[in-house]
Amino acid sequence: MIGDVRRLVAKVAERFKGKFYGRTFRCPVCHLELALVDADGNRLMVCPLCGVVLDVEEVYGHAVPVVLEVELHRPQPKMRVHPMATHVPIGLYPFAVLGVGLLLLASLLAPLLPGIQPLLAKAPTVSGATLVLLILSVGLSVVTLGSGLWDWNRRYRRRPYRQIRIKIVFSIAFLVLGAVAIGLHASGAAFSTTTGLVDLASPLAVVLAAAEMAVLTAGMVVIATLGHIGGTLVFGR
Amino acid sequence: MMDFSLSSQQQEQVERARTFTKEWIAPKAVEYDRTGEFPLEICREAFKQGLMNPHVPAEYGGTPHTVLDHCLVLEELATGCSGIATAIDANGLSQYPVILAGTDDQKRRFLAPMTETLQFSAYAVTEPEAGSDVSRVKTTATRVGNDYLLNGIKWWITNGSVASWYFVLARAEEKSTAFIVPADTPGIIRGPKEINLGQHASNTVRVSFEDVKVSAENRLGEEGEGFQIAMKTFDHTRPGVASGANGITKAALNIALSYAKRRRTFDKKLISNQGISFKLAEMATRLDAAKYLTYRAAWLFDRGEDNAREAAEAKWFAADVAMQAAIECAQVLGGYGFTTEMPAEKLIRDAKIYQIYEGATEIQKMIIVGKLMRMKEVY
Repeated sequence: MIGDVRRLVAKVAERFKGKFYGRTFRCPVCHLELALVDADGNRLMVCPLCGVVLDVEEVYGHAVPVVLEVELHRPQPKMRVHPMATHVPIGLYPFAVLGVGLLLLASLLAPLLPGIQPLLAKAPTVSGATLVLLILSVGLSVVTLGSGLWDWNRRYRRRPYRQIRIKIVFSIAFLVLGAVAIGLHASGAAFSTTTGLVDLASPLAVVLAAAEMAVLTAGMVVIATLGHIGGTLVFGR
Repeated sequence: MMDFSLSSQQQEQVERARTFTKEWIAPKAVEYDRTGEFPLEICREAFKQGLMNPHVPAEYGGTPHTVLDHCLVLEELATGCSGIATAIDANGLSQYPVILAGTDDQKRRFLAPMTETLQFSAYAVTEPEAGSDVSRVKTTATRVGNDYLLNGIKWWITNGSVASWYFVLARAEEKSTAFIVPADTPGIIRGPKEINLGQHASNTVRVSFEDVKVSAENRLGEEGEGFQIAMKTFDHTRPGVASGANGITKAALNIALSYAKRRRTFDKKLISNQGISFKLAEMATRLDAAKYLTYRAAWLFDRGEDNAREAAEAKWFAADVAMQAAIECAQVLGGYGFTTEMPAEKLIRDAKIYQIYEGATEIQKMIIVGKLMRMKEVY
């Protein structure tokens, strides 16, 4: 079962990579997967992870990278703000998703299990904490994005790496999704500001709560992908 | 008159196969080599583009192809990945006995459907105790009324997991007899994929037969003709195997050449070192020699002449050249030739099998000597 899920995730990831990266090859030194299209007109590219200068040519369909040089003395990330900042959203956001999930579950179970009523008294607190977590994680991801762009400018010299492009696009997507989720949650239209739960008698509230959960799940996928790509850029394969 | 040029039709076939190789095979070769997955998606595309089943005669839905045409195409496919090329081409090995000895009904039932939808078939002859020595095959075929009951184990069966029928060599009352056995017949057990040294994309499995009932209608030829059918098949298929080996040599030469022209050592291009450039010259020369031996063996077959000696020469020589070229390619790449991130090490792993399957190199030499012994003078 777990093996099947892993295989499915791997297949989805492969398709995603194929779509966004096109033809790839591995850096022969650090094994990072690189997109062939990132090589410049002279077929040259610098591996973002290990800094080797590669001349990559396709021969009979085989990618044959040749190491020509090593880029030494690469600027380090400025005060390592980006690596630290990445951990704030990725650390807080899953708890916000968990909070919304719990509130949804409690809303659905409340009519079926009268015994949980005492626990429901804490729902407004959970809802409030969820909102704080959402605001912190999404708000601080602005710092993550900004510091990431700074590093791209300095350390990677604005080279057009597929990984970094995806990171930028996904970071913006995360901000948008996060803003929508915050808006929905703070409005009280999905989760009541007084009870912290979804009013199951109101179809609009149910739809909005489901939409909030969907947006948060999408955000989770986006942030997990961001973390994975970022991780490979730092630690390699 | 001798003409070494390709016809415009052959040239077009080569171009088509080359484009397919560059777009579909080579870019995915590493992935399939790592996962060991069967390249179904690539086979599907190859089938769509008419690159599969070139052996099937036109009257059964195939396209008119000579063995030489097939060799030219296969050489291109194997330049991308010989494992994937084997998966695409292995049908031929089991189809040819049917072409050679099958009845019209057998050809209609087993060959024609393979030109209509993507299907695979497998040549199930090798057994755990009978590899090169095919006459030692122990699988039994016991006559029961109008049927035969097959019992035995076949080993290293290429496309064995995906085949819809098998060409099986068995012993019927101690007489070597060939059968076509549909893969869905009760009693057939397919083993897991073997993890081999190379050609990971090629599906190789054990296939066991336990009281497998086969109708006499599916017997190829008469009882006792099985060995001849199985051996005669190789006159047709060995030039193809040699072409696969030539594909590896071509890949090795191209990769080594590309690398040597770009890599710098001691303040000059690697290719400027005589020790390296001579390797490339030798690889190119050996490739030409292997190619022309192969083409000649195929051409003789297409003319209806006996090509057993030439096919054996081509097969062993091309296999040895491929092995040597792959090793030299790794040598040119230096340390990078030893890493799994560069294509050279895969070529070494893939090349080795060409010295072994469809008759080991030593068997080929025995065939050649066998022919020489019947000659007074060699011209």
